[in-house]
Amino acid sequence: MAMSRDEVFEKVKDVLVDALGVDDDEVSEGATLTGDLGAESIDFLDIVFRLERTFSIKIPRGELFPDDIMNNPEYVENGRMTEKGMTTLKNAMPHADFTDFEKDPDVAKMTDLFTVKTIVNYVTAKLAA
Amino acid sequence: MKFILIDRIVSMDPGQGRIVARKQLSLAEEYLADHFPTFPVMPGVMMLEAMVQTSSWLVRATQGFSKSMIVLAEAKNVNYKSFVAPGGVLEVTSEAVQIDDTESDFKAVGRGADGGEIVKARLKLRHYNLTDLDASLAETDEKLVSVMKQRFELLGGPAAVQLAAVTAAGE
Amino acid sequence: MRWVWIDKFTDFQSGIRATAIKNVSLAEEHLHDHFPGWPVMPASLIVEGMAQTAGILVGEARKFEEKVILAKVKRASFLKEVRPGDQLRYDAEIEHLTEEAAATIGRVTLDGEPLAEIDIVFSHIDNNMSGLVFPEENFVFTDEFKSLLSSYNVSTKNA
Repeated sequence: MAMSRDEVFEKVKDVLVDALGVDDDEVSEGATLTGDLGAESIDFLDIVFRLERTFSIKIPRGELFPDDIMNNPEYVENGRMTEKGMTTLKNAMPHADFTDFEKDPDVAKMTDLFTVKTIVNYVTAKLAA
Repeated sequence: MKFILIDRIVSMDPGQGRIVARKQLSLAEEYLADHFPTFPVMPGVMMLEAMVQTSSWLVRATQGFSKSMIVLAEAKNVNYKSFVAPGGVLEVTSEAVQIDDTESDFKAVGRGADGGEIVKARLKLRHYNLTDLDASLAETDEKLVSVMKQRFELLGGPAAVQLAAVTAAGE
Repeated sequence: MRWVWIDKFTDFQSGIRATAIKNVSLAEEHLHDHFPGWPVMPASLIVEGMAQTAGILVGEARKFEEKVILAKVKRASFLKEVRPGDQLRYDAEIEHLTEEAAATIGRVTLDGEPLAEIDIVFSHIDNNMSGLVFPEENFVFTDEFKSLLSSYNVSTKNA
C-alpha cells in the first residue's frame, strides 16, 4: 500500500531527528537543513543513506542534493547564480521551491533550497514512480 | 604517553554549566607516528576523548569530586569537519544540558586556533564510585579522587573557576 | 603508544562484514592513567577499534584506492567497563558504500555479551572534502593495517 505524504513526512522527521540531533518540534516542513537544523556536509551523506534505508529507495549521487551543479563555478557570477545555472538547477531539483532563490539568487543562500519539504517532495515522488 | 587529552582548563563556570579547555598537539605524541606516518593529524577519537575529559572536569567541579569514576556512556552525532596538525590547537567548549548524580549530558564543540569548528558532539557521561561495585574498594576510590584533585590543579582548574567567578562578579 | 587498536581479524568477508579481536593488557601505558588504581579501557579507544575494523573493511572493498577517514560517529553507546585481561570482539558490517562515503554498523562484545554499539559514517576524502589540504598518496592504509589483513589471509589459507 502506498505511503501518504503525512506518513512520509513523519518518517523523514524521524530521520532528521536522529541524524542531526534536533528536537521533534524543530523539524517543520519549512525548516532549512543547514540554517535551521544545523546540518553539515557529512550529515547530508548520512541523511541520504538513512532515507535509502527507511524508504527502500536508491538515491543516485546528486539527485536529491545536486552539489555538482551547485558547486560549478561556471554557473556563478559575482556571487550570484547565472540564468543558465538557475535553469539547470531547477531542472535537477523539481522537488525544491525556487520562489525565494529566484528573487535573490545569492549563492550564499543556495542551501536554503534544502528544506524538510524538499526532502518530503523528493521521497513522495520517488515512491510514486 | 600520559592519557591526558587536555593541557589546560581555560575557564570554568559551574553555575552556568560551561567549561573551556585547550589541547595543543605536539609531534612528540607517539601515536602520531602511526596516524599517519606521512600526514600526522590528531585522531578523531582523541578529539572525542578531549571532549569527554573536558566535560568530566565540569562534573567533578560541580559535584565536589564526589564520584571517582566518570566514563562515556554514549556519544551521538560526532561530526568531524577538519584536521588538527602538530603545532595546532583544539579548544573544547562543553556546555552541560544537565548534570545529575549519576549521569550528565553535554553539547561539546572543538575549535581550531582560527575559531573554526573542527569537531562537535553530544555526550552522555556516567559517574559512580567503586564502592558501588564493592565496599572493599573505598581506599581505591579515595586514592583516585586524590590523584584527580592533583590533576585538576595541574590543569589550572582552580584558577579557571576563580576567573569565571571574577568575570561574573564584574558583569 | 602505537596506534593499532585491534590485534587480529578472525573473519573477513570482502565488501560485507569483518570480525576483529583486541586483547586488553596491563602492559598498555594509558591504562595506568585511566584510571590510576582502577584501569579501564577508554571508550574512545573502543570507538577506534571499531573504526579500524570497519575502516579496513570499507577500504579493502574499494581496493584501498580511497582515503577512508572517520567523518561521523552516528552513535557509540557503552554498557559496561572493559578491564585488563578482557578480550573484545568487534563485528562490523557495511550498510552503505558509494564513491564518496560508507556507513557501517558495529557491535562490540565481551565474552559473548553485548558491550557497545558503534555506527559510523566514513568519508572518501578525495571525492569529498574540498578545501582541506592532504597528501596525494593514500596515507590512511599504512603497512600496519595492511599486515593485519595479510595475516588473516595467511591464517585462513593454512587452516
